[in-house]
Amino acid sequence: MSSITAKAGVVTPAAPARRRSKIDRGHWVGLLYIAPAIVLVTVFFVIPLGMTVWMSLHNWPLMGQHRFIGLDNYIAITKDVRFWNALKFTLYYTVIVTIAIFAVAFPLALFVEKPRPMTGVYRTAFFMPVVVGFASASLLWAWLLNVDSGLFSPAAQQLGLTEKKFNLLATFNPAFWSIIVMVVWKVAGFTMIILMTGLQSIPTELQEAAKIDGANAWQRFRQITLPLMRRTLALALILSVAGSILAFDQFYILLRGGPRNSTITAVYWIFNQSFVSFKLGYGAALSMVLLVILVTLSLIQLRLLRNPEGT
Amino acid sequence: MKKLTSLLAATAALVSMTTLASAAETANIWVRADGSNFMPQIVEAFNKSHENQIKLDIIPNAELVQKYATSAAGGSAPDGLSLDLIYTPAFAAAGQLEDITDWAKSLPYFKDLSPAHVTTGTYKDRIYGLPFSADSSVLIWNKKLFKEAGLDPEKGPTNWAEIEAAAEKVNALGGDIRGFYFSGACPGCNIFTFTPLVWASGGNVLSEDGTKATLNDPKLREAIDFYRDMVAKGLVPEGAQTDSGANFFAAFAGGKIGIAPSGAFAIGALNTQYKDIDYGVTFLPGKDGGWSSFAGGDNFVVTKGTPKLAVLKEFLDFAYSLEGQTLLASRGSLPVRGDIAKEALKDLDPRYQIAAEAMAKGRTPYSVVFNDIINSANGPWAQLVSEAFYGDDVDGAIANAQETMQSIIDAGTGQ
Amino acid sequence: MAKASRNGAGIGRLVGEHGTGLFLSILFLAPIAWTILSTFKPPLEARQPPIPPWPTTGFSIQNYITLDSFGAGLWHSAQNSIFVAVSSVVLTVVISLLAGYGFSRFRFPFKNLFFVLILSTIMIPFQSILTPIFLILSWLGLQNTLSGLVLVYVTLQLPFSIFMMRNAFDAVPKEIEEAARIDGASSFALLTKVMLPLVWPGVVTVALFAFLNTWNEFLAALVLMTDQAKFTLPIMMTAVQSGRFGAIDWGAVQAGVTVMMIPCLILFLLLQRFYIRGLTAGAVK
Repeated sequence: MSSITAKAGVVTPAAPARRRSKIDRGHWVGLLYIAPAIVLVTVFFVIPLGMTVWMSLHNWPLMGQHRFIGLDNYIAITKDVRFWNALKFTLYYTVIVTIAIFAVAFPLALFVEKPRPMTGVYRTAFFMPVVVGFASASLLWAWLLNVDSGLFSPAAQQLGLTEKKFNLLATFNPAFWSIIVMVVWKVAGFTMIILMTGLQSIPTELQEAAKIDGANAWQRFRQITLPLMRRTLALALILSVAGSILAFDQFYILLRGGPRNSTITAVYWIFNQSFVSFKLGYGAALSMVLLVILVTLSLIQLRLLRNPEGT
Repeated sequence: MKKLTSLLAATAALVSMTTLASAAETANIWVRADGSNFMPQIVEAFNKSHENQIKLDIIPNAELVQKYATSAAGGSAPDGLSLDLIYTPAFAAAGQLEDITDWAKSLPYFKDLSPAHVTTGTYKDRIYGLPFSADSSVLIWNKKLFKEAGLDPEKGPTNWAEIEAAAEKVNALGGDIRGFYFSGACPGCNIFTFTPLVWASGGNVLSEDGTKATLNDPKLREAIDFYRDMVAKGLVPEGAQTDSGANFFAAFAGGKIGIAPSGAFAIGALNTQYKDIDYGVTFLPGKDGGWSSFAGGDNFVVTKGTPKLAVLKEFLDFAYSLEGQTLLASRGSLPVRGDIAKEALKDLDPRYQIAAEAMAKGRTPYSVVFNDIINSANGPWAQLVSEAFYGDDVDGAIANAQETMQSIIDAGTGQ
Repeated sequence: MAKASRNGAGIGRLVGEHGTGLFLSILFLAPIAWTILSTFKPPLEARQPPIPPWPTTGFSIQNYITLDSFGAGLWHSAQNSIFVAVSSVVLTVVISLLAGYGFSRFRFPFKNLFFVLILSTIMIPFQSILTPIFLILSWLGLQNTLSGLVLVYVTLQLPFSIFMMRNAFDAVPKEIEEAARIDGASSFALLTKVMLPLVWPGVVTVALFAFLNTWNEFLAALVLMTDQAKFTLPIMMTAVQSGRFGAIDWGAVQAGVTVMMIPCLILFLLLQRFYIRGLTAGAVK
């Protein structure tokens, strides 16, 4: 087996070596090319971010005068039970939804990776929900899940599965899993494509060689597929985790944070503090805390992405 | 250079000429989407008959406050705003609004203006908002279903027991028909239609000056038990539990609900959009009789420092005229001038009279943190509503909500 | 004999595979189809559960007419949305093409810092910088303009687009442009004449993503635009969704969702060949 992995290291199409050719001329030509992007990011991201940091040090109501209060907002966060609960829920959601997405997307990727007739059609079908916007998808599912005018509850009742209409959004577990189903439906196709590209970059000779060596399907998957897909997996993981930690639309539109405030995510809480309670300064401080958490998590995951040889 | 200066001069002359030629000014006002049934009409009528013009923007309900505040910070706020009256204290406290006390008091009919509006429009003894549209909460019942259930279709319930008994009879008709409806996940709907049940029984949820939460009032507990009872007996559709207001009116308008607490707006909406529904209107009763109502609607407020104040005054004068009040009433907004209310309503559906009477004696909670404690979908009132009507631990829910609400009030007034 | 049985097993497997494929495809497509079909129900029927999904009491476009009565009207909002989406796509493509090329082919001070800076844009809950963005737009005199909204959207698109474009350029062998360079072409001419055709799938991917995201975005549009005449489709949808007077019109909501979805679905179907290739080239690296 070890011979196979060693071989894998050799055969992997090494990412195009970033050798420094003579193309680089002046230092400034390159800067010129990225200048428009840097200007936009500075004006609409760096400066607003700086302002957010500045606001986080103030008592900053939406209307009226603001007042410098130093770190008081951050001290208040440490005692903000509802924020930590929201964060806990967000992490719970992130873990579950990420597992669910991979559990669906990986088999799909294996399924559509093999060239055979109709594969293109299947790929397209699985990918279709991805192009529907999150807000549209949420509204669509809000309707399907509605107890009176929707699809699932009346259908279950007509099929005799439930005695009377069952309100899916009224209690935590059905509501939470409904959201998970919706999100998986919506994004599994995207993860599938990313994973598929990873699978396709594994040379078939490698699999064949392992087959001849007598490795069964599971062994081949563990010893060849997974290690060689490490970077692809890490990319899919980062995208999924970052997206889930910032989740807001689906909980806002479908559940309004209910039932009984049990599905308030971190961003939802920030949104509430900033735009419902109008405490912009406090909302800004919460955003900073979330940013730090997200950057830390992404750095950990980037490690995985950067280190393909560490098998 | 010379050319440029002369060009500039010419432009300046042109500009001054145009301003002279058309002294007419245009003021920009906003209204929340709930006002889309009457606001465009009254603006159109005003624009037709006046030289000065109003430009109207309709803003989604939930975003109005946020959008107004951000645009005020960015210097692009509208000149005036038809604002949910409960927000007036918060806006005035934040220093966003023009003090219109002197003008308001100079109006000959000032003392006849809706007291609920003027009270919420007053902050620290100065007036910042004047009544514009009005809506009171009432109880509506489906006469056809009452008849089918063997009830007197012309007589509405006058206390809680009668509501429950009638709802049970209607419910017994079976099928999709249910006795009672309320939006179980809608804090705004319930402050509007549920608290009057408490008020009419002598209880309250908030002290008069808005400084004390009183959710532990035993009368509130009784009202909660009244709703829980109806839920337990299956008189309320399953969808009610998660209805965040989207079905507040539609449920009754569907013709399959016997009784629903609702608002005066429903009269206008039913008459224009659901002509086949035969319904009655009565007051929201207390446990053993008596009645109360939530006096809601919009105050008209003026952005501090707007140069278009004169246009806005002209517009309000028009809205307060008999013509304006009649037009508003015909589109479902109750008159806000008590002295001409009867006249404005005389050619309209007589059921409006009940709503107008409810309005005149209606109450409105006063709080600078109303949004936080009551309207927020994740605030203490929202939590209380969903947990108390549907949860297992009513006392815990009440205690929890009382504590949260009080702490928000304390933090809000301490600033 | 042995051959025949292998064939039999092969057919069995084929049927099994395609059966699974079809079943899953239907599962993924059903919600979309269900929605589109049921928008053609008359309003009264639209309030009932959608079983079956197609109209049973007559075909009607009343839901779309109702939808048109919200805000400034369907077509007006759609025009705003089209303007915003198309401008964002063009700008995003141009800027990320340049930046991707710059990051892939040049060496300059703080290169990695700039790259990380651009990528870090996705780490921020964008809700929390909305108010400052609004203030900046008003300082620039762009508040309440569609162009201002476009600039914000383009910024939000940049991390993904630049990441994709850099990888697309990285995948092009350097020998190709070196040959051209010997012929004396400038770097800009190289980019437009030699490189562009080679990274075309990446460009299509970036463009399609930019379109999908800007076409569907609602929160920034909601906060940044105050003039009703400039509302985009998603803002109109928030009004439809909150309903009027506590009466949500599911028929109109689904009609709106359909209007929002259709352009995305059509564009995707037309461009999917490039799209999947572009993602492939961009994502693995």
